Amino acid sequence: MSELGIGLSYGAATLLVMFSGMPIAFALGTVAAAFMYFFMPASSLDTVAQNVYEEMASITLLAIPLFILKGAAIGRSRAGKDLYSAIHAWLHKVPGGLGIANVFACALFAAMAGSSPATCSAIGSAGIPEMRRRGYSPGFAAGIIAAGGTLGILLPPSVVMILYAVAAEQSLGRLFLAGIGPGILMVSLFAGYAVMKARQEYKAALVIYQNGGPKSAYLEKEHFTLAQKVEMLPRVLPFLILLLGVMVALYGGLATPSETAGLGGLLALGLVAVVYGLWRPKDLAPILGATLKESTMLMLIIGMSLLYSYVMSHLHISQGAAQWIVGMALSKWVLLAVVLVMVIVLGFFLPPVSIILMTAPIILPPLKAAGFDLIWFGVVMTIVMEMGLIHPPVGLNIFVIKNVAPDIPLKDVIWGVMPFVALMFLAVFLLCAFPGIATGLPNMVMGVK
Amino acid sequence: MSHGFELEPALAPGTMRPKNAVVAALAKGLNVLNALVLRISMVALLGASGVLTYSVVTRYFLKSATDWQDEVAVFLLVGATFMTTAHVQSLRGHVGIEAFANLLPPFVNRARLFLVDIISALFCSFFSWKSWTLFYEAWSEGQTTSSSFAPPLWIPYSLMAVGMSVLTLQLFLQTLVRVTGGEVQKEKK
Repeated sequence: MSELGIGLSYGAATLLVMFSGMPIAFALGTVAAAFMYFFMPASSLDTVAQNVYEEMASITLLAIPLFILKGAAIGRSRAGKDLYSAIHAWLHKVPGGLGIANVFACALFAAMAGSSPATCSAIGSAGIPEMRRRGYSPGFAAGIIAAGGTLGILLPPSVVMILYAVAAEQSLGRLFLAGIGPGILMVSLFAGYAVMKARQEYKAALVIYQNGGPKSAYLEKEHFTLAQKVEMLPRVLPFLILLLGVMVALYGGLATPSETAGLGGLLALGLVAVVYGLWRPKDLAPILGATLKESTMLMLIIGMSLLYSYVMSHLHISQGAAQWIVGMALSKWVLLAVVLVMVIVLGFFLPPVSIILMTAPIILPPLKAAGFDLIWFGVVMTIVMEMGLIHPPVGLNIFVIKNVAPDIPLKDVIWGVMPFVALMFLAVFLLCAFPGIATGLPNMVMGVK
Repeated sequence: MSHGFELEPALAPGTMRPKNAVVAALAKGLNVLNALVLRISMVALLGASGVLTYSVVTRYFLKSATDWQDEVAVFLLVGATFMTTAHVQSLRGHVGIEAFANLLPPFVNRARLFLVDIISALFCSFFSWKSWTLFYEAWSEGQTTSSSFAPPLWIPYSLMAVGMSVLTLQLFLQTLVRVTGGEVQKEKK
């Protein structure tokens, strides 16, 4: 069979097995093993287990379970609610401050916990009822939290970025730094929209009240004394110190990414023990159990994805597909648009880990040949995959919000997140126009590549 | 982080209640084994964090470099990953794409799920076999890693082989339960 035929069969078999509902890890492994049997030397089948082990036994990849441990420790404590309450108290006088507080709380929590759904759940369970109590429309309140949660895979330490760094053979430290500028950009865009929308809803509530209608909670004034505000800080500061400590350890040359992950995991466990009294085995078991469940599933997908990519490369499928894309002689920006649309479509069905590991060998060579900086592209790709977390049909954060606030109709949640999807597109356009938003900080800290 | 892998597992622990007595006994045995392995893996996870933290502390405070911590952490984490994979499967926690599940007639869906379990079990059997072969070669040839610390490779290979074998058993058991009856499916929200 020709290379093209093998490549098409490989793609078709993958789609068939994946859509059969087989767990992604086993599906990728099954397709890879089947094609090894039919199209590779018989001895290659003997190396299946060794290939998976060698790919997984990377100390960089194994930072993932430890970053998940850090996130689980913080996510299973009351840290999210405390963080939200403190930011709300300090920002309540700012117009639209409640919306901004929710966006900031999501960003900070996401940076500490590294998980989008955990962020939605932790901040949303406190933030959504409070926003609704203060008169925010349900869809708007849900949209802020669902979108704020997506910052978890953009801000360091991001599991998605660790995988991209491995797949694209790029510096993880540089990639983490490259996520900070776009992260701040998106926080600003989300906060700006929250202020604009809150003022719009405030004006509408005022008009209704002035015309003799009911008085919305928007029109009530809220007050926090300085003592109340200061009282909230001791529970929040240790976590912010953890966040800064991890960054200093990573960029101050004190620790490698995996050491930072180990240190962060232990420190997070120490903090929840000291601040929230979660130190007994019965308190720790759910944190450790949840970490193992999530990381095992993820690591198995990663191991099998790498086997899948190895077969794709050995059979020259990835090289052939990459050459075919280059041969189309698309303009630089059309090529980028095609690739990003493909990522969006894949995001309907697949988690970012699989998208990155399955597509990287095909899409990265043409993008590099077209002159794109792969660190910059990693950030853009991550933002596009973030959209997959909030756009239908399978946006995970939408369903987390439905769990947190079951009385908000799904339709309202979906309409509530749509402006944020548009803002993400805007962020991608801004990154295309001003790549320095992503590459500026790493170039400044680590030198120009 | 990502969509898919933070979803609650489709099955809550203990919701598989096989009707056949032999299958029920097997399920109970595997549940006990998985629970034990989960606890050991929790310690391994903490151990890996501790080893990496120790490495930073000794390097920066005691000014003494260590050459073993990365490999010990890798062994602990790879071991914990493979050893708990059966536990994750017992909760149906390995995510798949279920986009078309609701579009199919019930009998087609049942056949689909049966096939999915069988093919998964066959693949994992094959993987287990190759893992045991790898373990045997590493054991008999005294293979070690290429570092100066040079720990024996049979350690991680054995954890991979045992973990994948228990996963295979778990998958065959779930297939048996599907045939003999007793799986209480809790749909994902």
